[in-house]
Amino acid sequence: MAKDLGVAPVEGVPAIRPDYLLVADSIPALIGVIAPDGAVEGVNRAVLEYFGATLEEIRGWASSKLVHPDDIPAVIAAQKHAFETGERILNEHRLLRADGVYRWHRIYGEPLRNSEGEIVRWYMLQTDIDDLKRAESLLAGEKRLLEMVALGRPLAEILNSLCGFVEQTAPDCMCAVFPIDQGEHVFKKGFAPSLGDAYTGPLEGVPAVPGSAPCGAAAADKTQVIASDIESDPRWRNSAYREHALAFGLRAVWSTPILARSGEALGTFAVYQQHPGSPTQIQQDLIAQFTHIASIAIERAKSDDAIRRSEAFLAEAQRLSSTGSFYWRRTSDEIICSEETYRIFGIEPGTPVTLKLIATRIHPDDLQRFNARVEARRTNNIRTEVEYRLLMPDGSIKFVHLVSHPTPTENGEVEYTGVIQDVTEARVAEETLGKLRSELAHVARVTTLGALTASIAHEVNQPLAGIVTNASTCLRMLAADPPNVEGARETARRTIRDGERASEVIARLRALFTKKTTTSGSIDLNEATREVVALSMSELQLHRVAVRLELADDLPPVKGDRVQLQQVILNLLLNASDAMSTVEDRPRELVIATSCDGADVQLSVRDTGIGLDAGDPDRLFDAFYTTKSSGMGIGLSVSRSIMDLHGGRLWAAPNRGPGATFSFSIPCEVQDVLPAVTDRHQGVMVG
Amino acid sequence: MTATALVSIVDDDESVRESLPDLLKEFGFAVQSFASAEEFLASGRLDETRCLVLDIAMPGMSGPDLQRELTRRSQPIPIVFITANEDSSECARVMDAGAVSCLIKPFSETALLRAVTKAIQTE
Repeated sequence: MAKDLGVAPVEGVPAIRPDYLLVADSIPALIGVIAPDGAVEGVNRAVLEYFGATLEEIRGWASSKLVHPDDIPAVIAAQKHAFETGERILNEHRLLRADGVYRWHRIYGEPLRNSEGEIVRWYMLQTDIDDLKRAESLLAGEKRLLEMVALGRPLAEILNSLCGFVEQTAPDCMCAVFPIDQGEHVFKKGFAPSLGDAYTGPLEGVPAVPGSAPCGAAAADKTQVIASDIESDPRWRNSAYREHALAFGLRAVWSTPILARSGEALGTFAVYQQHPGSPTQIQQDLIAQFTHIASIAIERAKSDDAIRRSEAFLAEAQRLSSTGSFYWRRTSDEIICSEETYRIFGIEPGTPVTLKLIATRIHPDDLQRFNARVEARRTNNIRTEVEYRLLMPDGSIKFVHLVSHPTPTENGEVEYTGVIQDVTEARVAEETLGKLRSELAHVARVTTLGALTASIAHEVNQPLAGIVTNASTCLRMLAADPPNVEGARETARRTIRDGERASEVIARLRALFTKKTTTSGSIDLNEATREVVALSMSELQLHRVAVRLELADDLPPVKGDRVQLQQVILNLLLNASDAMSTVEDRPRELVIATSCDGADVQLSVRDTGIGLDAGDPDRLFDAFYTTKSSGMGIGLSVSRSIMDLHGGRLWAAPNRGPGATFSFSIPCEVQDVLPAVTDRHQGVMVG
Repeated sequence: MTATALVSIVDDDESVRESLPDLLKEFGFAVQSFASAEEFLASGRLDETRCLVLDIAMPGMSGPDLQRELTRRSQPIPIVFITANEDSSECARVMDAGAVSCLIKPFSETALLRAVTKAIQTE
């Protein structure tokens, strides 16, 4: 024991009282006394014991290993600064403990001044903060790794950093993390920054079972496996792993399972030493702490993967079905779109989407409707189901079907969630189909009219005969002496009348022959029927068919294509006539009747012919089904498709007496001039 | 040939009944027109009729029906058929049954005059 800490008396400074010396020697803190020039004057007993060195050895610190050689320049610089300014010393450096381990210390130095105020001595207090320092370092490392997890950094980056950090914290050690494929129960590609792919590569695909390696045992048994010397450990004497580890100079292998919260093994955390041994408590704490972080990182990566997969799945489904989703925050006009929604609108993904931007894509003809509907949905909560046309920047047109509904949010507001589907292909296909139908109807019509050739000639020849006769008469009357002017005027008038009659016939025929497109208009079915009857009258007369019209008064108009409806009537008429062509024992009677039952207008053609075949009367309406020797058998099939197009029905029924009745019904025109509203107003108030 | 020979016209088409009599009158015939075969048969002017201008296709009794009826009654009035139908087989049938002529509408005044004159001379 140094009674006076080995400190020489200084002039002007009271000597240290002996009992104080006793206190200084007894407290478990490292205390030193330094002269103003930096020379160590004395230390307490704790210092001697800590270093396991003599005072002389301590005095020579600047050229020995008592202070970590890396820290010596900083220590000298700090002392120099303090001696020059008189400021208190406060720094941290590593000191060599008696057991040969450098430990961090925090140094406080307080100056002692004489009555003149001059510094005569420095009292130093050295505190071992190595445990604190390590805890701080671990905390910082842990924080950095958890930040990486939170930021969603790639798993490889996180696990490599984790290994690096543990290796830095526990010198002599090397680390590896081996995730496990949950489905296959084999190790996936491992991460070991110090050992490299040459080490982890051959272990990829190794089964996670006890016999394979310490890591396999740890994963299978969900418990830590310590192989203090893999070379002599009997458990892996025959495993390929033993040779592999030894080839990399590894002797001690400590494997710890990385467990999910649910308890399953996500992987293993392996720590290696190049010399045999078991982990110290500090190393065990380190392993426990970072195995936990590894489990968080792997679980996060797994759930990220699952989210990514489900997002990719959703995006793929949206792409395949040409359906995008969106979300409209009503108060801020912010619209959040899925990738497919961006694609449908032809907007660069990631661009902030507003109603204004959407409006630039709506077809000008639909824009007013669009704006009105948006405004209505600002103040009311209305479900939407609507179709719009989009005018794309390249001039192309898209048809989109939009469905959205109001959704209450947590803060009591209402937002709209919806989907938008690109239905252009379907619309184009419908249009094409519609055109084909019209063309087929036209072909069928021309075919039907072919049967009327004689009748048509008759219809035209009749007025022509009148014209020729009247004109001849007129000339003769004018040539008489004196001219019969009054008679000539009358015959000229008749000539004009017959000419008009001929041109009416031609006009009716032209419509039936040439019209190929389908149009829609308001039609008086009685009027249309009379025209068809007039056109086919001579044909019917030729076949000695007596026609009777029973047309209802005040028949409401129907909506549709006049020519196509006349085609159906003509078809029924000619079929009825054909059905009676072999009838000789009774009148060939044909009755065309119209009626209205409120919502529908009905027209029926009743004949006294051979009637319907036994069996399925619906077969009559199949294409190419015919009982006639002439004709293609498409007349009734086309007639039925025309009725379908008009929202009507066409059917056949046997009469009570001889013959059959063919009828169709078609909805009356709705007396509503307002634009059609396709919305289903389910104006549910939400919230 | 008598200048006032009676020509009877039977046609369901009104414009024919209007125009044809005037022309035949210009030729110097006396003309009477009927809207149907039944009307003609009931008119009591069969004996006077020197020529019958008869439409083929008519509702009820047709032209050929009337031709047969007259034959049955042994009243061989010379008949000039007129038809707006271009089907020549019809004409051939009525000619076989003894018609003087068969005119397809529209026909010229020359053809008409020739046919009617021939009918009256046939008698």
